[in-house]
Formats: sequence, structure tokens, C-alpha cells
Amino acid sequence: MSAEIAIRVRGIETRFGAQIVHSGLDLDVRRGEILGIVGPSGCGKSVLLREIVGLDKPNAGEVSFPFLADSRRKPRLGVMFQDGALFSNLTLLENVEAPLREHTHLSHQLRSEIAGLKLSMAGLGPESHHKKPSQISGGMRKRAAVARALALDPELLFLDEPTAGLDPIAAENFDRMTQELAHSLELTVFLVTHDLDTLHAICDRVAVLYGGKVAAIGTIAEVVAGAKGWVKDYFSGPRGRAAGRGVAGG
Amino acid sequence: MAGEAAFDLMEEGRAPVLALRGDWTVDTIAGLEADLRALAPLLTPGAGVDVAALGRLDVAGAFLIDRTFRESPGGEATRVAVRGQHVNALRLLEAARKSAVALAIAPVLPRGFVGFLEQVGRAMGVIGEEIVETVSFLGRTLGVLGRLILRPTHIRWVSVVHVMEVAGFNALPIVALLAFFIGLVVAYLGARILGDFGASVFTIELVAFSMLREFGVVITAVLLAGRTNSAFTAEIGAMKMRQEIDAMRVIGIDPMEALVAPRVIAMLVMTPILTFAAMMAGLFGGLLVAWAELGVSPALYFTRIADAVPAQHFWVGMSKAPAFALALAIIGCKQGLSVGGDVASLGQRVTSSVVQSIFMVILLDAVFALWFLEMDW
Repeated sequence: MSAEIAIRVRGIETRFGAQIVHSGLDLDVRRGEILGIVGPSGCGKSVLLREIVGLDKPNAGEVSFPFLADSRRKPRLGVMFQDGALFSNLTLLENVEAPLREHTHLSHQLRSEIAGLKLSMAGLGPESHHKKPSQISGGMRKRAAVARALALDPELLFLDEPTAGLDPIAAENFDRMTQELAHSLELTVFLVTHDLDTLHAICDRVAVLYGGKVAAIGTIAEVVAGAKGWVKDYFSGPRGRAAGRGVAGG
Repeated sequence: MAGEAAFDLMEEGRAPVLALRGDWTVDTIAGLEADLRALAPLLTPGAGVDVAALGRLDVAGAFLIDRTFRESPGGEATRVAVRGQHVNALRLLEAARKSAVALAIAPVLPRGFVGFLEQVGRAMGVIGEEIVETVSFLGRTLGVLGRLILRPTHIRWVSVVHVMEVAGFNALPIVALLAFFIGLVVAYLGARILGDFGASVFTIELVAFSMLREFGVVITAVLLAGRTNSAFTAEIGAMKMRQEIDAMRVIGIDPMEALVAPRVIAMLVMTPILTFAAMMAGLFGGLLVAWAELGVSPALYFTRIADAVPAQHFWVGMSKAPAFALALAIIGCKQGLSVGGDVASLGQRVTSSVVQSIFMVILLDAVFALWFLEMDW
């Protein structure tokens, strides 16, 4: 991890009608780190993700990517949506091939092989290649979605609730996979989650969104140490303590 | 450092070395594949890569290098000896090797004549299944309707009235307009062709017979098949995809009672009303032509219809409306409930719904025509 900033968010304001979601939100994501974003439901975590990747426009404020030497270039992003958002009429292999088909001129053979490699990196073997998204489990769908997000070798990987709805073992495996991929591919990972185990296990830093701002940011130990109000409730509730103990003990 | 991806094969000492230059990323490696494949046999065991002059490298590039070595005479297990310093080459080459897999062979579909025969066979099987399923769905629906007649408090009147408005009442303008034009066209045809025989006064009978017996009800049914059936299938299908139907079952709401019955009841009520409107609009179209072309006054037009066209023709037409309504609602709901988990099946089911219902309307109409002919009605 370096001190170089991958994503710089400054003064984001987001309103839906009268409802204020973000009010002057600032955030720096360092290059090569796994940053966990937590906060109560409805605090605008997913909205922030959508604004950074450019799906939504904030009412005010800006998002920049200072690590890019050539500022005209757009960063290469990979996004895993909450339910995978795989194309349901394509097989898993075709899903991963889709971005390659659109953006490169690789031969059909090489494209399929690279897609197979990405699926394998996400933990899906050849038996899954020709299955449709409706024929596989939710956990496999999430893995395939990560493989698709990795198809074009992104610099920034965005994961929206990657472990929601997975059993604890599958969630742990998924966490391990995320960490391995992040390290071997030097990814910067922006991870929106509610999973305290994930936060403890793999996040280099944690940012807490509360009241339209980043209420706390730092390593999990720093955030817990300085916790007040909602943040304190979050990390020192029974679940937060259990997750902390699990990591400390193991 | 950056530049176009390229490589040189250098023979130094005992083993060849592949010296890489430029950026090797998913965007740049497309042109290298054939050359590397041709070169693979030359990489005798002990061969290595020199990454000192390599620019950026990503997983796709690492994969291509790794694949070249795996295709070399040393086979799958050939070790890639890396020379020179690079930020991530070693790590990515390791990652590519670790996750390397053979591609699964895509399931082969038989082609040519045999494939054609197989497809025809499958299609026949599907048609057979569809018929059995639709008939059994009709039976289940009639069972539910029977139960609801015994316990009318279980009928969801709010849904019924809502469907009546959306699927029935809102279709009134388009049904009436189309029937009006059909009446107009039939009257013109009559005025023209019957006029050749000097029998243009029978134009009025032609319009009245055709609108009352056939066109009023068939136009209505075909329009409802396109407009309402597709909506039924899409609504119920989307609920099926989002597991709303499963949720209903678990809560203890019978989807047949909550979704299918209100639609069937609403269609049974609205189709005869729409049919009546279509008949009247058609007759009005005929009236305008008779008035303008034949000089028949509106009063005379109606007197003529009342004298020459027995009321049984009206009842023959109206009697078909409930049968069509039932067929339409059954097919629309059944196809909706047959939607699977993916988007393609939703599209396919909506298509089937419209095609099957139009087919059934025409088929039933032919059966009715035979029946009424034999009965001399």
C-alpha cells in the first residue's frame, strides 16, 4: 500500500427531493488498499459507490482519480453489484467475455481462455463455464460477477455487499478470495458491506458513513478506539464484539 | 518504458530467452497471439522470459506468456524462468499459472438434417406439453372459480374492478375505433360489389350480419389478445421472477385465487361489454357509408336492420364472447406462471401468450361457426 491517492471525493452533496443523503462528504481512498465502507441502512453507501463509478451524478462536489498520471484517461473500473447483475441470457463464460468482446480485438479462442482464467481466479471451475446465471447458487453468481468485474483488469474494484446472503463459510472464502485477488492484482478495492467479519478480516481501513459525512476513517482498531455515538454502537454491539474477538483469537 | 507490445527470441547459452518489450495488456496483446503460438515449439525446456524491458503487464498478458510456455515441448508443467526486474511480472505469472484451467467443451448441438429433425421433435414435444398444461390449468381455474362461487367473500373485488378498468374499460376506445373502421370497410365492399348486381341495398344486411355474428366479437378478442394478454403474462411473469409468487404461497395466499381468478372474472365481464361496443361501432361505420354512398337515411338503416336481421345473430355473436374471454385469460395467466428465472423466458412467454391466444380465438371461432351452421342458428 502506498500513500498515493486512488480516489479523491470532495464535497459531495446528494439530495433526493427533501431527503439529504450526503452533505459535504470528503473521502480519500489510497491506492492498493481495501477500504471498507460501513454505515446504517439508507446512509448512502451504495449511492456513493454509484457516484464514484459515474452511474449517478451528485448534486454538488467532485470525484477525481489522482493516481492517473494522464488525467484525461479514465480509470479502469470493475463493479460487482449486489445480486451480481449477470446477463441472464448468457452463460457464465459469455458473461465474462462480454467486456472483452466489447473493448478488445482478441481472437475468440484467447478471449474464452482469458474468461476461463478469470472465472478460475474467482473460484469457478470449467464445470460452470456453460451454465446460465439462473442455474447456479447465489454464492457462485457473486463469484462470477467478480470474474466479470475483473475481465478488463481494472485498477479499481467496487464490491457492493459481496458477502450478503452467503453462509459464513462461503463468506469467509469470498473474503479470502477478495484479499488474494487484491494483493496479486494490486487492486484498490472499495467495499460496501454490513459484514463485520469482512471488515475485521480483510479491510486495511474502514470508513464509517453517518449523517451524510464520513464520521470516522482509519484502521479498524483506530475507528473502534475513537468511536462515539452510532459508530460505538455499531462496533461494540454484541455482533461487533464477537467479530472483533474472532479475528483477535484466530 | 511504454510502447507497442513486442518480443524477441534470443538464443544465449543453453536455453532460449523470450525478451519482452512494451506494454502487455488486454488492449495490446491481440496481435501477438499467432506469432507466440508459432514460436512455442522453439521454447525448449529451461527457456525463460526477460522482463527487464517490459512495460505494463496485466493478467491477460501474463496469461498469454504463461500459455505459450504451457504449449511448449515441455508441456503443461513447464516452469517459466523469469529474468530481470519488474514490478508485478513474477506475481502475475504465478497467479495466471495457479488459476490456469482447460476450457470446458461447449455442449454440441447437432447440426444439419439430424439437428433439424431433433428440433422439430423437441418442438412437437413442447407443443404437446403446452396443450396438456393449458388444459389442466383450465381445469384448476374452473375449480377455483367454482369454489369462489360457493364462497363469494373470497373473491378479491378490488383486484377484479382494477383489472376491469385497466384491461377492459381502457381498451374501449381502441376496440370501438377499430370496429368502426371494419364496419366502414365492409360497407364499402358491399356497396361496390353488391352494386354490380344491382343489390346494393343488401349492404345493410351484409354489415349487420358480419358485425353481429363475427367481426364484433373477433376484433375484440384479437385486440384483447394483443393488448391485455401480453400485460397479464408480463405482470405475472415478473412477479414469478422476483419470487413474489413463492412469497404468496408461503404466506398462504393462493395465487390462483389472488391473481388468476380476478383476471378471469374481469375478462368474463368486460369482453361481452366490449363486444357490444364493437358491434355498435361497426354498425355505425356501415351507417355512414350507407348514408353517404347509398343515400339510406339513418332511420331507414335501423328499420331495415330490425326487419331483416333476426336478433339471433346478435346472440350468436355475444355467446362467443365469454368463451373467448375464458380462453384469453387462461392463456395469459398460465404463460405468466410458466415464466422461469431469466429474462429470455419472460420474452418468450409473452410471445407465446399472444400467439396462442390469437390462435385459440380463430380456432374457437371456426368451431363455433361449424356448430351454429349444424344447429341452423
